Amino acid sequence: MSGNTQEDLNALDDEAFRRTVRAWVEANYPPELRNPPKRLHWAENSPWYFRLAEKGWLAPGWPKEFGGMGLSPAKQIILIEEYERHGVARTNDHGIVMVGPLLIQYGTKAQQERFLPPILRGEHIWCQGYSEPNSGSDLASLRTEAVLDGDEYVVNGQKTWTTLANDANWIFLLVRTDKAAKKQEGISFLLVPMDSPGITVRPIVNLDMHDEFCEVFFDNVRVPKDNLVGEPNKGWTMAKALLGFERIYLGSPRQSAYALVRLRLLAERMGVWEEPDFADRYARLRLDLEDLKALYETFVAQLRRGERLGPDVSMLKVIQSELFQRITEAMMDIAGENAGLLEPMGGNRDLHPSGLFINARPCTIYGGSSEIQRNILAKNVLELPG
Amino acid sequence: MSQALAMDESERADSIRLIRESAAAVAPRGGDLRRIRALRFEEPGFDPAVWREMADLGWVGLRVPEEKGGAGLGMGAFCALAEELGAALVPEPLIPAALAAALLAADPAGEAALGQVLGGRLLLAGWQERADTLEAPGSLDAPRLFVPMAAGAEGFLVPVREGGRLTLRLLPREAADLAIDQTQDGGNYGTLRAAPDFTGGKLVAADLGGALDAALDEAALATSAYLLGAMEAAFAMTLAYLKTRQQFGRPIGSFQALQHRAADLKVQLSLTRASVEGAAAQLDAGLTGAARRAVVSRAKARAAEASMLVTRQAVQLHGGIGYTDEYDVGLYLRKAMVLANQFGSARLHRKRFMALSPEAVEE
Repeated sequence: MSGNTQEDLNALDDEAFRRTVRAWVEANYPPELRNPPKRLHWAENSPWYFRLAEKGWLAPGWPKEFGGMGLSPAKQIILIEEYERHGVARTNDHGIVMVGPLLIQYGTKAQQERFLPPILRGEHIWCQGYSEPNSGSDLASLRTEAVLDGDEYVVNGQKTWTTLANDANWIFLLVRTDKAAKKQEGISFLLVPMDSPGITVRPIVNLDMHDEFCEVFFDNVRVPKDNLVGEPNKGWTMAKALLGFERIYLGSPRQSAYALVRLRLLAERMGVWEEPDFADRYARLRLDLEDLKALYETFVAQLRRGERLGPDVSMLKVIQSELFQRITEAMMDIAGENAGLLEPMGGNRDLHPSGLFINARPCTIYGGSSEIQRNILAKNVLELPG
Repeated sequence: MSQALAMDESERADSIRLIRESAAAVAPRGGDLRRIRALRFEEPGFDPAVWREMADLGWVGLRVPEEKGGAGLGMGAFCALAEELGAALVPEPLIPAALAAALLAADPAGEAALGQVLGGRLLLAGWQERADTLEAPGSLDAPRLFVPMAAGAEGFLVPVREGGRLTLRLLPREAADLAIDQTQDGGNYGTLRAAPDFTGGKLVAADLGGALDAALDEAALATSAYLLGAMEAAFAMTLAYLKTRQQFGRPIGSFQALQHRAADLKVQLSLTRASVEGAAAQLDAGLTGAARRAVVSRAKARAAEASMLVTRQAVQLHGGIGYTDEYDVGLYLRKAMVLANQFGSARLHRKRFMALSPEAVEE
């Protein structure tokens, strides 16, 4: 359908590719969805999902034979940079980002043929069942279990922080299939339809009063054994292999850059922009942002060269999430009583210190908390004992 | 300081102990916040029946002299009460109402209204003409901003500059042009517009003199005490969580990085308590003028900064569950978001402290 376009894209040099992406995004992205203050639900972001699907741009990283764009890492990064620049919202993209790569790498041909096309058509909306109430930072201790009974697994347990489970019709699960093995070695990957009898979804309202996350309960849910991906008990290894790209995505300077622009607008509105104490604080944040961008670029350059990212990429997420938080804390400090308002000041979405402050809170918790990222730096980069 | 003003030490300690005990009537210790949850984001943002109970306990007039119908207690007692209310996140607007009572007590013309206020009629002062200030210019027609819990007010007290003096005008609720904005803690701020100016209200003080400045300082200090109570409660919840939450086969509180963070928060709590209680004691000992304003600023600067730090870290140390609205620790963060900057931000108070205390640090 758009095979020629994709070949042309791969042949373009980086700058020409960037211009092509920019022009198309500006012409096609729904303007009312730029920089949404909250994660969008499927009902809101599906028009954009279908527009990407129609263009053939839905799966930049998938090889072409599976319906992807087959872009090089360098071009994928440019694509992401252009989306961020324009304030393009994330879609319900777990099928694209997680399930697709999982099945392309580890799935059977039958699984690939069954599951990949519905993702590209926007028929299967996936969510990720990893965390559990007692297994957050210590994910490998997860206890939701799947027991083989004839040709089916019987699943019991509970997942939590399941992003947009209330939009999804499929979930990919990490489940315990061997309780006797070492905790990382008894885990498998299982694909489960959300309309299976025994599944209950309960949205969780967050501090931003939004139901982005859900709890998902499994009560004797029967799943055909063909829905297991790869070998049994190898789920942990596969899950770790899928994490590479997420780790740099969460370190992208985009949130901090977005917030810093709003900090300046707020400072001007509050009449403190010219004040020396504020100017120094702003300068510090601005320099932190510029240096974060420079550091981010060094990791991006590794990907461009086709290298695998090492554990030191953990520092990106620590710096970016904590910088984002510090910028929003500066907003709260200068906003006076406006810091306590629930809604944007005067209805202007760019002036909403409390909203951004709350949005910045979970960034040091999800995707590996700052504490876990620092553990990785200490143990795997610095090789400290313990 | 004069002997007459200074309170007897043991009497003061008794009044603080007694008021803490009586606070349990509306601020039960033990952290059940269901009542507080149920009142959020619904006007007026608090429970009028509980408000009347608080008035019946004599709390609105706690600082009003006995000869004017109040309890005549000191700032130590007021701060102890505010701290207990903060620990339980009590939303009824005691501190703004006490500010109104202090203004009405400043002039005999306010006597009748003061009697009603002490009896539970909720009047609130609309003095603020911009964000983050402690100055009330008393403009004739500038909107009055950020009136806390205005949705439940039965009337407003508006300072107006008339003939060189700051008068006080009482505007009944029905006569007020009022807009309500919700706040992050589930309460609200009111914006009061003049129609056509504020001189139409009944005159309840012909000359406020320095009463407004003094009352704003007391409100700032009491707010610091409220924040102290809130951060203590959030910290206690967090400490309990660190001791019970298991990851990697052990309580997360056994990890040294988290132990050090908890220890740092405890240091901030102790500094805040020392600052707030010290300021209250000095006010009760009769401190006046620039020195009085400076100790208040010191306390509010610390309480504002420390309460935001402690409640932010309380969420972080809880991890994902801390970011849910249904778990209580977030309620403390949202309260700090509103109160940290009420009656002056940390930034404002740090500046004011330095302006008032230009002398070098004693070595």
